[in-house]
Amino acid sequence: MREITPEIQNEIKEMIFDYYAEECEIDKSEITMETNPQEDLGSDSLMFVELIEMTSDKYELDIKLQSIGKYMLKASMDTMKDVVEMFYKVYQYGNDIVNQ
Amino acid sequence: MNNLKRAFLFNAIGSRPEKLLVKLPPELMDRYTHYFDVAFDRLGLNKDIEKNTGYDVKVAEWIVPLLTDRVVFEYYIEKGIIPDIGAGYSSGIVSISACFGSMRHEDAHDLMMSHRSMFRSLKEHGLKLDMGVIIGFSYDDLSELLNGHFTSDELMIGSGNSSFHVMICGKAEAVNKAIELALNEGAIKAFSMGTETAFHNPIIEAYSQEHMEVCRNIQYKDPKYPIISVFDHNIMTTAEEVKRENLLNITTPIRWDIALKKLEESGVKEFFDVSSNGAVHKFSRVSRKCKIYTLEDVFSGNI
Repeated sequence: MREITPEIQNEIKEMIFDYYAEECEIDKSEITMETNPQEDLGSDSLMFVELIEMTSDKYELDIKLQSIGKYMLKASMDTMKDVVEMFYKVYQYGNDIVNQ
Repeated sequence: MNNLKRAFLFNAIGSRPEKLLVKLPPELMDRYTHYFDVAFDRLGLNKDIEKNTGYDVKVAEWIVPLLTDRVVFEYYIEKGIIPDIGAGYSSGIVSISACFGSMRHEDAHDLMMSHRSMFRSLKEHGLKLDMGVIIGFSYDDLSELLNGHFTSDELMIGSGNSSFHVMICGKAEAVNKAIELALNEGAIKAFSMGTETAFHNPIIEAYSQEHMEVCRNIQYKDPKYPIISVFDHNIMTTAEEVKRENLLNITTPIRWDIALKKLEESGVKEFFDVSSNGAVHKFSRVSRKCKIYTLEDVFSGNI
């Protein structure tokens, strides 16, 4: 398991919020942890895949999309909190996120 | 050909008309409205798309991306953005054929209209077909997953779009089963498109005779710019080659991912998405040294 510091957590959260603000053309200040990315921001799965690719590149992660897909069978992605926490786990566990 | 630098990419049908139109700037909207009025008058379609009856609603919606592509294509050319080559994804083949001057725009519209008889024929024969999208699997990964579960008469991969985006097509029941299977095996998203047909599968050939006839009878010309085939990935420069591509189109699986790779290998660095809503940019992937520009990028001067 990879160590995740509060600084990295904050960096990941800010990166995700910046990404959705830009892609969904919405002011970042309007996005909260309770915001629903699909219903409130109009995001879609292709945006989500792009965010995964971006995060993998930034943190040099080796993650298969199918590992995330299997994790999503157990965990809903209804809020930004869900998304942010999933990316913390991606950072920490990589493909082993399936078993979390 | 290894001195190519700029490629235009044409998308398929599938986007809702309102999603295609919302991104058109007002000056392009005026041109779109003109082309829309002329085309719908000629085809005898109701300009309030939902008020058309039967399969006219579906084909009327399919005419819209041809018109928005034409407007965006002309805008790019007027801005001095000239393609060295192009590629068309699915019905984007029809669109690029018209924009690159290989067929008249009216021929492209007639090709779309001819799909009505396919729907009627499929209904008469009680054949329920569909298409689906699987996000999170590459072509090879999905092939491996589906192998052994379906016969080629039931289901095929209709297109490998990128390393994470694949289209399937075939009997509706098989499409639904494949979607369930993919989701259980880790697809990020998988859904049926509700197309009532299975483009890019030979299963529809017997029901598409009118379309094939219209396609065969078009007077093709050499394209103004080369086009890469999304089937065999050869570079097409003649009327005969473009005709062949159009005849293959609805019954042959596509490898869009390979077409883009071949374009990169030929030297292309700049890709221009001709769809008004940037849809090609969303499902396509190119390497880091390349970029896919959208209408929004061009309009905002972000190139």
